[in-house]
Amino acid sequence: MTNQSTTTHEGSATPELRSREKQALERETTRGGPVFRADVDIVERADEYLVTADLPGVESNDVQVRLEGGVLSIETTRGFVPEPGWTPVYSEYVSGGFYREFRLSDQIDVGRISAKMHDGVLELHLPKAEQHRTRRIEVTS
Amino acid sequence: MAQLTWTRFAHPWSGETWDAFEGLRRGVDELFARAGHEGLFRSAHGVHPPVNLYENADGFVLTAELPGLKLEEIELAVHGNRLSIRGERKISYPDDGRTSLHRRERQVGRFRRAVELPAAIDSEKVEASYRNGVLLVKLPKSAAHRPRRIEVQAQ
Repeated sequence: MTNQSTTTHEGSATPELRSREKQALERETTRGGPVFRADVDIVERADEYLVTADLPGVESNDVQVRLEGGVLSIETTRGFVPEPGWTPVYSEYVSGGFYREFRLSDQIDVGRISAKMHDGVLELHLPKAEQHRTRRIEVTS
Repeated sequence: MAQLTWTRFAHPWSGETWDAFEGLRRGVDELFARAGHEGLFRSAHGVHPPVNLYENADGFVLTAELPGLKLEEIELAVHGNRLSIRGERKISYPDDGRTSLHRRERQVGRFRRAVELPAAIDSEKVEASYRNGVLLVKLPKSAAHRPRRIEVQAQ
């Protein structure tokens, strides 16, 4: 077992988290309501891409992931909805849907894509197609 | 005697038109709510997490988007009418030399936030839940601040 270290965001000191304004997208939706750009991390590994997206307030059933013509898109159909009896007193953010798309440079093994949602975070594993994988060639002495 | 029946569709503003009016009403409510608390809104700029505060029959409901955490990782405290939220968001990817980060937008770091509520809270009855990355805190008003209904009995 190798000793695996982990990277932290900005060195060893924990930064103070500053909130950023959610970026609303100009996007036509059938349901109306605002659509925001989801924050994502994209990690490339030898055999796959790992795409992680923050989708707070979204149920796993309300996420649509599409891969069409090399473009990966993440779209939510419904976000957090306050209960009918709640009157807003003040609001600092707007709840809504999320959208994001990327063009993928490598061929993806579409049949083996897996996605899971936990605590408002989408984790998408996109395995590279066999011929696009980085191979490690063992050098023997 | 003629009987009048109300159906869902009898309303002149039923369906889409009604929804549009309802949307407008909510928008106006929100605008007023925002304007009324502009001081608070401005002072909170940049402080994480942004919160929304609603009022319901029992008191207040506070929501905040904190994806990727667990309720146990969020520290909540109520002192009088002040609610404080603290925690830390950590994200790490293994650094094994074969992983490259193409994009890193999801923020990490400590957060600490205090929210002044417009009325005293019954701290014993505060309930917090966490679902799909949204923190939801129910803050019932203390009994002294709740409107009391006085039954008027007929003689």
